[in-house]
Parts: sequence; C-alpha cells; structure tokens
Amino acid sequence: MNRQDRRAVSRQYFSQERLAEHHFRSFNNFLERGMQEVVSEKATIETDIGDKEGEEPVYVELGDIRVETPRVREADGSEELLFPQEARLRNITYAAPVFMEMSIIRGGEEEEEVVVDTTETKVGRMPIMVGSTKCNIHNLSDEELVEIGEDPVDPGGYFIVNGSERVLMTSEDLAPNKILAEYDTKYGDEIQVAKTFSQRRGYRALVLCERNREGILEVSFPSVSGSVEFVTLVRALGLESDEEIVHRVSDDPEIVKFMLENLEEAEVQTEAEAIETLGKRVAGGQGKNYQLKRANYVIDRYLLPHLHEDGVEEEEVRINKAFYLCRMAEACFELALQRRDSDDKDHYANKRLKVSGDLMKDLFRTALNKLARDVKYQLERANMRNRQLTVNTVVRSDVLTERLEHPIATGNWVGGRSGVSQLVDRTDYMGVLSHLRRLRSPLSRSQPHFEARDLHATQWGRICPSETPEGPNCGLVKNFAQAMELSQNIEDEQALKRELASMGVEGIPGIEGPDPTNTPADD
Amino acid sequence: MSEARSADDATPTNTCPECDGRLRADGSETVCGDCGLVVDEYHIDHGPEWRSFADDDRNPKRTGAPLTRSRHDRGLSTEIGRSTRVKGRKRRRLARMRRQHNRARISTKRERNQVYAFTEIRRLTSALSLPDRIRDHACSLFTSAQNEDLLCGRSLEGFAAACVYAACRVVNVSRTVGEVVAEAKATEAEQTAAYDALNRDLGLPVGPIDPVEYVPRFATRLDLSRDVESRAREYATEAAESGLAVGRNPSGVAAGCLYTAARDFDAGVTQADVADVADVTPVTLRKTYVALRDEE
Repeated sequence: MNRQDRRAVSRQYFSQERLAEHHFRSFNNFLERGMQEVVSEKATIETDIGDKEGEEPVYVELGDIRVETPRVREADGSEELLFPQEARLRNITYAAPVFMEMSIIRGGEEEEEVVVDTTETKVGRMPIMVGSTKCNIHNLSDEELVEIGEDPVDPGGYFIVNGSERVLMTSEDLAPNKILAEYDTKYGDEIQVAKTFSQRRGYRALVLCERNREGILEVSFPSVSGSVEFVTLVRALGLESDEEIVHRVSDDPEIVKFMLENLEEAEVQTEAEAIETLGKRVAGGQGKNYQLKRANYVIDRYLLPHLHEDGVEEEEVRINKAFYLCRMAEACFELALQRRDSDDKDHYANKRLKVSGDLMKDLFRTALNKLARDVKYQLERANMRNRQLTVNTVVRSDVLTERLEHPIATGNWVGGRSGVSQLVDRTDYMGVLSHLRRLRSPLSRSQPHFEARDLHATQWGRICPSETPEGPNCGLVKNFAQAMELSQNIEDEQALKRELASMGVEGIPGIEGPDPTNTPADD
Repeated sequence: MSEARSADDATPTNTCPECDGRLRADGSETVCGDCGLVVDEYHIDHGPEWRSFADDDRNPKRTGAPLTRSRHDRGLSTEIGRSTRVKGRKRRRLARMRRQHNRARISTKRERNQVYAFTEIRRLTSALSLPDRIRDHACSLFTSAQNEDLLCGRSLEGFAAACVYAACRVVNVSRTVGEVVAEAKATEAEQTAAYDALNRDLGLPVGPIDPVEYVPRFATRLDLSRDVESRAREYATEAAESGLAVGRNPSGVAAGCLYTAARDFDAGVTQADVADVADVTPVTLRKTYVALRDEE
C-alpha cells in the first residue's frame, strides 16, 4: 500500500462517526432486536387467578414491542419532540415512550380460551442514546444541528438522565461458555480444574470440573452443594456404558488409564441409579418421587444452561451436556499429564466486552420482570374487586420507567455492580472522546492482580498500551486503540449452525445431520 | 441563661461583659479566656461539616428520600433486606420475619384502602403524564376525603380518578372527565359521584374552566402548527373576556377556537376531527365558531 492509500484508510478510522461507533452499534442492536428478544423470552405473564374453585385461569400474552423517538409531555398535556439540548437545559430525561402489545386471555381449564382484551399500550419510557437511530438528531445535517442548538462535532454515545449526561462504561468480562483449564490448590495439593461460565438469557452458572488428589473427577454446579462424581453425573445424563464414557473423554492411553480409575470408583452403573443418587444429593430427606423430580429439574435447569436451545429436545440436550462434561474432563487430564498449559485468563481471546447495548439488555430484562410482577398484582386485585380486566388499567408505566432510569442516573446496575454509568467528562473535547472509548475490568482495584494489570501481547491493535490511569486503577481501566474494531455477536445462531453443518461439522443438536450419538461433540 | 441575656444587652464586642477579658470562640460556645464566663452557647456552628464522603465524594446528601404524600406511610417504610451471606436457619428466620413485616405494614382497613387508591392514582398520573406535584396533591385530596368520611358507599376507584381530576382542576391544567375516565378503572358514573362529593364537602377552590387550558393539548393531538395554536389562544382569551364562553362547554369552546384558528391558516382540519379530539359534538363546536365569526 502506498502512502496515499494508507492515509485514506487511517482517515476513515479517525472519522467522526467512528469515535463512539461501538456504542451506537450495540445500542441500535438492542433497540432493534434485543428488546424484542427479552420480551419474547418472557412471552407470558401468569397470574394466580384460577386457583380457586370454579374460576377460569387468566394470563397475559406479550407481543411486539415498539419504541418511538424521545418526546416530552408538558403539564398542560401537549406533547412535543424532545432534543438533547432541551433535555440538558431543562434537567429532564431524554427518553422515548415504549409501547407493547398485550392481550389478557381467560380460560383454558373448562372453557375455551377467550381473549378478554388486547391493546398496544404504553409500558414506560426508555432512555435513548444521543446519536442512536431512535435519537431525534439522527441523520441531521450540521446546519440543522446548529439550528436546534446541538454541537455538530459532539460524538454522542451517552444518555441524558435528569439533565446530566451519562456514559455506560464498557466492561471487560471473562468469556462465557468456554472451557478454561487451570491449576488450583486444595488442602496443600495441586489439583487441576476446568471451569466454564455457562450463560444463557441473563442467567449465569459456574460449572467446575476438578480432578482431586486421588485422581477422581468431581463436578460442581449451582444448586448442588459440594460436588458430584463425574461418572455419576455423566451416567445421569444418559451416557451409560463404561466403554462409551472412556471413548468420549479421550482415546489417549494414559487418559484412558485415568478414566478407568474413575470408573472403578463409580457407585452407580445405570442412568436410573445415577439420577436417584443425584436426587439424594439435591433433595435429601424428601420423598422419593420429589427427589427424582428435583434431580431432573436441576439437571435441565442449572447444569450448563448454555447448551439449551429452543426447539431442541431435552434428550438431545442432555447427551450434549454429557459430551461437554467429557471435554472438561479431558482438559483436566491433559493438564495433569502436562500435555497442555493452563489457559491464560488475560488472553484477549478469553475476554468479552459488555457495551451499552448489552448492559441495557440486562437492565431491560429485570425492569420487564418487575413490570410483569406489577401487572400480575394489579390483575389479581382488579379480579378480586370484580372489575373488568383491561390491559390499559393494569399497566403502570412508571414501574418500567423508574427501573430503567434509576440505574443510569446512579450507576448502580442490576446484579450489584456500581459505577456502571458515569458523568461524561466534559473537561475538554479529548476528555469526552477518551471517556466514551474507555473500558473497565470488573476486578477489584484494592487487590494486586499483577497479571491482569500487565500489558498482554494480545492487546496489540485493540487496547492502547499507554493510556491507563496511575494509581489503584492502573491497568484495570483501559482505552480502545484508534483502529479497534469491535465485532458483535451473530444475529441468528441457527443460521450459523446450519452453515457449520453444511461445511461438515457433525453432531450439532437441532440440526439435520448424521446421528449425533455416533459422533463426538468436537472432533 | 441570664448571663447570655446580659451578653445580648451589651454591644457585640470581643470583650467579656464581666471582666473585659478576651473572648474565645470554642466550638459552639463563646467563653471568656480570663474568668471562664460562658458568654454564648448553642449558636450555629458554621465550621466545616465533620462528615466523611468516603462512600461517594460528590454526593453531599445525608438523608434518605423526602417525605411524600403519595405513600400511605409518607415514604418512611422499612424493608428487611436480603443478603447472600445469611444461610440456613437464619435465612429462613429472616424470610419469616420479612413476611410478617410485610403483613404488619398495613394495619387497618383504612390504610389498605389508601394503598389501593394511591397505586391507582400513581397509575393514572403516569398514564396521563402529569407532574409529581399533581400526584401528591391528588393523594392528599384522597386522604382529606377519607378524613371527612366521604368514601362510605362510593367506590375507591371512582375517588382515585376524581382526586386526579380535581387536582388538575385546582392547578389549572384541566383534563376532561372523558380523558381521565378513559385511563381509569372507574366508570364515569363512579367518578362523577366521587367528584361531586369532593367538591361539595371539601369546598375545592375551582372555578369554571378557562378554555385556554385545553388549547395546547388539543392542538398537539391534531398536529397543528404553533401559529394556529397561538391564534387559538387569542380567540379563547377573547371569548372568555367577551362572555362568549359563559354557559358553554369549555372544551367545546376550545375546540371552536382551534377550528376557527385552523381555518384562518388553512390548516385543513375538519370540524369532526377537532370535535372528536375535544370529546364534543360538531354542533357544540360550530356554535362557538359561528359566535366568533359574528363578533369579527
């Protein structure tokens, strides 16, 4: 490339639109798809109406969600478009009304299901990022911006809540749904652990697979205190025979030897026995039937939730979970035999960034749950007082609004994180740019964490090697490099899986292909 | 005490009234350095606040949320929180305590009614996008109505809606009865019954509605320009002054003024459109329109 071309390329990187582009892309994505995804996950609001004798059950179905552009309603009742500058000067929130289709449905027990009422109703107000697609100044020319009192070179990418500009700090988390193998010590001995943060729809579960000093593999996951033997768990998941378990873990003769030790120690031989043993662990002292029910529930709910997928049978998911656990076991053994090194947590391949859209999605999910609980309560109240059930009279729009605005105004995010939203640094123009492109590690700044603070080779081209604060936050607060390109999660996972299957990947659950039970999960 | 008074009588100097010694300000007291006479005590300490801002160095707040009329307990509720560190028996005990506490929060039927009505008022004011002061006013109106025993035999929902309607009327940001009822759980009959009771027994300071109050709202709903709106305002004030609005439905007058103004600017709205927004018949609108045209 000659100098001219290089110059043209770097101009593109220094262009104005790119300064806060990661914020726009992420937030627009949230507005276009994320919000609807959250609503579709929720799908219905169940009520306790119908528990009484001779009463038909009532539930609410959630439909399409729609966001308008920011507007303000004055005390005299008139409604006008709101522009960022007005929101700043009047100390109000730059937020847009959100509408959702809801239908109240009664029946299903003895009578036919009847739609009592269905309307698109205002459920609340969503703070809108300045410069996003739903922003009133989106696509305005410089002259028009000056006309309405906006700064044409302002990068945008922040929110305005109660008149103060708030930027959502990008946070750097460990990548979910990946197996990380590492050494640990327990009672003075060195042991090998394979970890996975399994994440699905805002639920995050840590699954651990440990090889203890006797060489026995143990798995621990949420809702089970302590740990369960690996072989028991795999058998409960439907991987029964000795030969198959060994084969699934590895064909390496040394690992096979380790596996055989494990199988010898195993207390159970069949799937049914294994589920029974698990039942004793999760619901000890309860009735037999309840134990089985609870064991099945725990397996399907809390163990490796990221392997679940809509439209895939439970059976297939379970066997896939077993394969996944075998991969974790293999990682442990390989680490023990020193066939591999422990995974590097500071490697950028093992990091994921949570940008404003992802954070807003977390927030919206809890806000919607709160709204759903309120709607349920209001419906039950209205029903008790023999009122006509209508959508409009059971939705309190301030519930959602408050839940969305308060965290942005204070920085106290859901899940106990604080300092997520910060007042935009307006010391000077460069201060704003730097602030919008800043990212933060969730590690505590009061502990040393030397490795996490060090400059890692994989930060090349992504993270600025020199811009980091001095003092306790050194190396934990970083800034994007100029040419950083932040890729996004794919829109349609099914399409990706179909594509992979067409390229010859076998054994993807829910995709047509060769019998998945005959092919290992990742060979 | 008497010493303090004698200090007040004397001209404010820096010397002791007894022995002419030097006075020394010490915290909240003023003491004579020679004889030890306390000249002044309990005065306001203007020194720096002895408080650490360790948790947040920019937030100088030291109290919780302000008291509010819009909660049955004035916003001073206590909650038993949750902790992930508490386990086992203690956790179960806390859960039981939390449940009992929640039950004990509402002790009387009166309070229960208040809670129900206040949630309805909150819902209404948020649905109508009314400011917080109107919400608080509506809530205190409801409390007054309860104190006057107006609720017997009338519906809570009706009172909630009537309080919101009344609070709007009092501060001159009127909503029509139809607008409130459309969002309320109450029927129109319940609302009017409650409003009549409120008006009769509480003596609300409300006069006839000025048609001007309706103009901006109707104008935005019809998407009319600023010019049309301000012309309509002029018509409405004119109508009020000339006595044209007397004895007419104020929203009908507002609609008539808007329609006349829209005609002036050729804004292209029909009588039916305007009448629909104002919740009146086109005939009512036409009366004002004709009257306004006659005056010119």
